[in-house]
Formats: sequence, C-alpha cells, structure tokens
Amino acid sequence: MFHNRAEAMALALPAAVFAAAVFLLPVILLLAEGFKSAEGWSAAAYTGFFSEPINQTVFWRTLRLGAIVTVVSAVIGYAAAFAIVNLKPGTKGRMIGLVILPLMISPVARTYAWIVILGRTGIVNQALQGLGLTDGPLRILFTETAVFIGLLQLFLPLMIISLISALENMPRDAVPAARVLGANWFQVFWKVILPLTKEGVVIGGTLVFTGSLTAYITPAILGGSKVLMLETLLYQQVSVANDFVSASVIALILIVMSFAANLLLKRVATARNNR
Amino acid sequence: MIQRLFAPFALFLVIGFLIGPFLIIVAASFSAGETLAFPPQGFSLRWIAKVFTVESFRDSFATSMMLAIGGTFCALVLGIPAAYAMSRYKLPLSETVRTIVSAPVIVPGIIVGLALLRYFVVPFGIGITPALFLAHTALVLPYAVRVVSASLANLRSDIEEAAVLLGSSRLGAFFRVVLPNIRGGILSAFILGFVTSFNQVPVSLFLSGPGVRTLPIDMIAYMEIVFDPSVAALSSLLAFMSIGIVFLAERFLGFSRYV
Repeated sequence: MFHNRAEAMALALPAAVFAAAVFLLPVILLLAEGFKSAEGWSAAAYTGFFSEPINQTVFWRTLRLGAIVTVVSAVIGYAAAFAIVNLKPGTKGRMIGLVILPLMISPVARTYAWIVILGRTGIVNQALQGLGLTDGPLRILFTETAVFIGLLQLFLPLMIISLISALENMPRDAVPAARVLGANWFQVFWKVILPLTKEGVVIGGTLVFTGSLTAYITPAILGGSKVLMLETLLYQQVSVANDFVSASVIALILIVMSFAANLLLKRVATARNNR
Repeated sequence: MIQRLFAPFALFLVIGFLIGPFLIIVAASFSAGETLAFPPQGFSLRWIAKVFTVESFRDSFATSMMLAIGGTFCALVLGIPAAYAMSRYKLPLSETVRTIVSAPVIVPGIIVGLALLRYFVVPFGIGITPALFLAHTALVLPYAVRVVSASLANLRSDIEEAAVLLGSSRLGAFFRVVLPNIRGGILSAFILGFVTSFNQVPVSLFLSGPGVRTLPIDMIAYMEIVFDPSVAALSSLLAFMSIGIVFLAERFLGFSRYV
C-alpha cells in the first residue's frame, strides 16, 4: 500500500473523467430530459407515457417475458447443471465447453438462426406440415413465442454456468443423505438443493432477467414491430417519432427495473438466509 | 433410476437447443440454393465466397475491427493505471472511481448510445467514426478494469515494493516488475474486450450513420433486404473466428482464470 494521494489520483483520474464525460453525464442529462416541462420540473412525461395503452402493453410484455425467461431458464438450468455436475471430469469439461460456446458467437448470428428454424418455410413449419399437423404454415416468427425462444437460447448458458458452480460448492453427501432419510426427489430439491444453491440461482436469475429486459437484437429481429419490447420501442420513438422525452422515460424505466431486479433478488437471498 | 435415464436425455436436449441453431447456420452457409433454407439445397462454397465480395461487409468489417482493436487498446491504456491505483494505493475515492468506471455495464447499451449521441457527439460536433470509437472504449473500460484488477489482486505487492526499496523508480518498478507479471490478465482483458466490442449492437445503433456502420449492424440491415445465405456464411465465419481466438487464449493463457 502506497500513500501518495496525488500520484494515485493521477493514475485513476483519466479513466474516471473519461467514463464520466462520455457515459455518466450524458446518461444523467438524458434521464433529466424526461422530467423537464415548460413550467419547470414535473413527472408529466411519465403519466403521459403510461396513459398510452400501447406503452402499457409493451411495458407489461417486457416484464412478463423477462420473468418467464428467467423462471424457465432456472428450471431447465437446474436439470442441465445437475446432469453436468454428475458427469466424469473429462466429459464434464467438454459439456461446460459446449454450454459456453454460444456465448462467443455473435448474438446477431444466434438470433438469425431462429429465422431459418421458425420462419414460414422454416424447419418447424416443414415438420408440422410434413406430419400433417397443420394445413398451412404457422406464423411463429414475429410472435412473443419467437422472442421468448430467442431470449431463452441467448441467456440460458449464463444460468447453467451459475448453477454449475453453485452445485459444485454444495456438500457432496447432502443429496444422498436426504434420500437415505426418506425424502422424495421433490423434497430433496425444495429442502436441500434449492436452499444450498440459492446464491447461484439468484446470480443466474439476475443475469438472465436484466439481460432479457435490455436485449435489443432478439426482439428487433424475432419480434419486429409486431412484438415491441421496451428497447425496440425506445429505438422506434427516437428513429421514427423523434420523441426524445419518451425515450428518456423508457431509459429510466429500464435502468430502474434492472436495479430493482438486482435488489429484489438480493433481498430474497438474505431473507432465506435469516429464516 | 429415473434420474440416471432422465439426466443425460435432458442434457442432450439442452445442448441441442443451445448448439443446434449454430450448426444449422453453418450447414445453411454451404448451400447451393438461392435462398436461405434448411436442409441446404446441394453443396457449394459460393456464399462463403460471396461474403468477401460484398463491399459493405468489407467496409463494416474494417470498421468493427478498428473499433474492437483500437477501442480495447484505449480502454486498457485508461483502465490499467486506474486498476493499479485502486489496488495499490489507499485511495479515498476508490469505490466512487470503480462505480463510475464500471457503470456502462449496468446501463443498457442502447441508452448509452443515445445519451452519448445527444449530449456529447452532437454538442461537440464529433464525427461518426470518432463517436463510435469513444462509445466502444467506454463499453470495454469496465471489463478492462475488472480483469486487470483481478490479476493485480493475485499479484503480491511486496515484489514491487522490494524493487522500489532496491532503488527502482515507481514507474520503473511498474514497467519492469508489475507489467510482465500481469501480462496474461491484460491479454485476457484484451480478448474479452475485443469480442464484446466486435459483437456489440445496441451501443452503436444510434451512433452509426450513412457510410459508417459496424459489421453486426450491417448484417441486420442486409438480412432485412436480402434473404440469401450470405449472412449465414458470414455468421459462421465470424463464429469460427471468435471460437478460434477464445480457444487459443484458453490454451495458452488459461483465459477462464481471469474472466
């Protein structure tokens, strides 16, 4: 530890000044824009925003999709992580590699793949018609289902990775002990695995939820203008309507929701701890 | 018993869900047909070859490369001293600096891009390319600081104190003792920053302008107009590039220790 304050400031200041000028200050100014009105400060833009039915729809859709993606990824994530943790070391490493692999591929490429799969002449529609289950092609693309599938595939690896490290830190004999004492699989999960891995699921859940809220590419490509989410609505407000006040309102909503998700999940974790 | 059968099957489905779409894209990029389809119609390399002849792809690839390499380099130049100051000095504002520097990760990219455009780029009359450069530097800075901090935390501070006691200057000690020891961390930060910046869309969305686009944004624009397999071909090429880089990094650096 050195104590020369001037020297330390000289080292840390350029980065801090850069981040403040290029990022922090502009974002604060943008957020302030939503509270400005002709006669001083007001929250009129916010009441105005939420009085529009389309904005309400988009707001609830974004929250709903974020929540569903988080819950489903937790359920699938537990199954996958549990299976991976119980593998032999060599196979385990390869499986973790396969889970991480998609994270290195551009989200544009990953989302694009779903057009090939879910499109009018895509694999799913070919299969459904081939089996005689539907007469014409189903419209899957540009629905909430498509956005859900895209988001799930995008963020599931983060949940699995979080859960793998949580499960690995769990005492080895906790599950066999509970089984020997007569717990069924549901009880084992609810009373043993979940409490012992809740930090992992909280971390994974926060990553998946905030990721889904703030994803742009997936709703833009798979949802289009039919399934707007807050991010794509923001883009539309600026590029089509030139409406920076609405953009500022959406920006603050997104930031507040991300922070709230973090806080809420932390609270859940500590509440369970204290019980 | 049920678990023994169920677990591998569930895992197989999950891995299929995660990897399958990527394999389909790779298969589709070898198609001989005119439109994007799976199963691919015949086999050819024409779409792979076409990628290299599309002028906008070449331009935006160069832009993205420049932003990813240059932006990450600048982020490291800013980030390494900051990380060093926070780990080695008793800095009263340490936490504040850390919060400011890492804030771009918490705020959604599209907001970062819009705010930068409206309150920095337009008021100061900055061109499209420099604006993108600033945005990508700010975007990578949190990763640079975090990864370098982690590798500094693993390095005992008494070796540089020893160097100073033995007559080296602080600066000399940093360049001759500290820097060689955190080389792996810096390279890892560079790779993480490069991949993050290269794949980034939302931040660049509002900042891209006529003639200057990043590659992912160019791909989105292209796929909205043309429905041929060239975007699939380009996606596969880029994916193999990223996987190759990360694979080499893991092999030679133990990349995952730092990230």
